[in-house]
Amino acid sequence: MLKLILNRLLIAIPTLLIVSLFVFALQHALPGDPFLVMAGEERDPEAIARLRAIYRMDDPIIMQYFAWLGQVVQGEFGRSLRTGEPVLGLILQKLPVTIQLAAASMLVALAIGLPAGIIAAVRKGTAADYTASAIALSGLSIPNFWLGIVMILVFAVELRWLPASGYVPFFSDPLGALETLVMPAFVLGSGLAAFIMRHTRSAMLEVLRSDYVRTARAKGLDERVVINKHALRNALIPVITLSTILFGELLAGAVLTEQVFTIPGFGKLIVDAVFNRDYGVVQGVVLCTAVGFIGMNLLADVLYIVVNPRLRGR
Amino acid sequence: MPTDPTSAGVLRVEDLSITFDGLPDGFRLVDSVSFEVRAGRTLCLVGESGCGKSILSLSVMGLLARPPARIASGRVLFEGRDLLTLDAAAMADLRGDRITMIFQEPMTSLNPALTIGDQLTEVILRHRAVSAAEASRQAVAMLQQVRIPAPESRLAAYPHQMSGGMRQRVMIAMALANQPRLIIADEPTTALDVTIQAQILRLIRDLQRTNGSALLLVTHDLGVVAEVADDVAVMYAGRIVEHGSATSLFSDPQHPYTIGLMGSLPSLGTRQSRLASIPGAVPPPSQWPVGCRFSTRCPFADARCRAEVPEAREIAPGHIVACFKAPIELQAESAA
Ligand SMILES: Nc1ncnc2c1ncn2[C@@H]1O[C@H](COP(=O)(O)OP(=O)(O)OP(=O)(O)O)[C@@H](O)[C@H]1O
Ligand code: SF4
Ligand SMILES: [Mg+2]
Repeated sequence: MLKLILNRLLIAIPTLLIVSLFVFALQHALPGDPFLVMAGEERDPEAIARLRAIYRMDDPIIMQYFAWLGQVVQGEFGRSLRTGEPVLGLILQKLPVTIQLAAASMLVALAIGLPAGIIAAVRKGTAADYTASAIALSGLSIPNFWLGIVMILVFAVELRWLPASGYVPFFSDPLGALETLVMPAFVLGSGLAAFIMRHTRSAMLEVLRSDYVRTARAKGLDERVVINKHALRNALIPVITLSTILFGELLAGAVLTEQVFTIPGFGKLIVDAVFNRDYGVVQGVVLCTAVGFIGMNLLADVLYIVVNPRLRGR
Repeated sequence: MPTDPTSAGVLRVEDLSITFDGLPDGFRLVDSVSFEVRAGRTLCLVGESGCGKSILSLSVMGLLARPPARIASGRVLFEGRDLLTLDAAAMADLRGDRITMIFQEPMTSLNPALTIGDQLTEVILRHRAVSAAEASRQAVAMLQQVRIPAPESRLAAYPHQMSGGMRQRVMIAMALANQPRLIIADEPTTALDVTIQAQILRLIRDLQRTNGSALLLVTHDLGVVAEVADDVAVMYAGRIVEHGSATSLFSDPQHPYTIGLMGSLPSLGTRQSRLASIPGAVPPPSQWPVGCRFSTRCPFADARCRAEVPEAREIAPGHIVACFKAPIELQAESAA
């Protein structure tokens, strides 16, 4: 297990280097000069030149990259070109917002996807199975932003049951947080629920055909015990892995939904930064996302071992 | 029912026929099968791969998924009660307790995510009103009986930490934990190393004898039959073609298929048990002939064999054969 973790961390280093280099290059290839934006209406050439010097914009790109990398390694992510705020501070400020949304969405996804997948597998070929599969398919094919807008129109504008947007930290006001979370978490979670449902269903179907489930039945065990204890435990192994990876994707991929619900999270941070050519922020966010992604994948591997006794102690 | 417990028929299968949805109408994968297993005795069900042995044993256990399987006729009497008429709950009460099963695949028949102790105590707790501690104690005693070394320490082990032979011993421990009246063992040694096949077989037989259980042992290995059978039922393509005591079948085989099997009798523990002396193999069910199902491979087959189904006839007391030509005078062939 320790070996696996070390191994993954070693592989993570080149991965992160490649990701950061790629983003760096792409970012600088984008048209548009951030300093024109920054220098304001007057476009004072002197001010622009000064800024370019501070940010070493006239060095070759590769030198800029290494300069930036050298800073990052020391924990210094630089400052936002636009607001002058430290990038790390911005990230740490937005991260909880996105984590809260991702966690709520994951809960929704699991709460819908797991039971639906189990029922569809156990009642394979019945109306319950087809209904669950049909709902899953529609969950996958409805675009998130459309569902989000419709929900806002219905539940916020028309019925006035829920706030249309905003962010309330869960630990300072749980009820308020739930009110703001319900719609975006449902929007994000419903798509993932379909994924989880389909994986749970196929994993369950495979396990239900297995010899050890037949053994469990041969013991005269209640069908409930056969499913919940003998089948589910094994079927959940791949589903746990999938959920962890999906969670990583949620952290990175909530962009559109955050825009729709005006949630001041990661998604909004990166979209604003890209539009403003705020290099430092974009790079910091991407790097942070990559770290989160690698971390979630590692967690998926570790969980896989923890829930799978065959792999323990290796 | 006879009152003498040693000869009481624990399991009586009468005229059992099984079809599957999707097969041609009236086609019976298991066709009019009858046999009896008595307390303390072993009936070996012998036949080549694909002849329906597993379907038959799973149907006795109530583990055959219905549908797609359907019982077309017959009764499965366990201690006088027809299992086919029991509801699911009543059948589950018997399973794992009065009727148990040992499967062919020890590597996949135990749950990889649960400890040996959990899986073993589970079957005791399901059927006995005992505490968890008492169930653990009984589990250890069972592991001891199946001669697993250091049984206490095995309770916390997972299946993957054991060899195939050890896992099959665990399966046997599970099957015997509640002192069943009937044990069904479907090729319990086929997947094992040649060197431990005989050990496992003797273990099953010894425990069955001390328990006084009836044993239905499914096998395609005549060496196994010679070792443990009291009675033998020979199955071919879904039908029982010959049935009798082991002594009479080995000394005086009457069905051409049985004779062919005997011709290739290997000694126990060798792997050459593939019935090489009968040319060909069991055809797939879709190609089973209308008359005698053995007629495509039988050296004595004639027009009648291909057109009519031979009735099972008692040619000597307790010795039943389903062949038009029986009894066959076979001095010449049996010497060959
Ligand atoms: N669901 C099903 N539908 C139709 N035919 C089936 C089905 N399941 C099994 N069969 C067929 O029934 C026949 C008997 O199968 P069974 O598994 O009982 O054979 P067996 O005698 O146990 O063979 P083996 O020695 O290989 O275990 C086989 O020819 C198989 O193809
Ligand atoms: S009935 Fe005919 S074909 Fe069938 S076993 Fe007897 S002789 Fe052979
Ligand atoms: Mg079989």
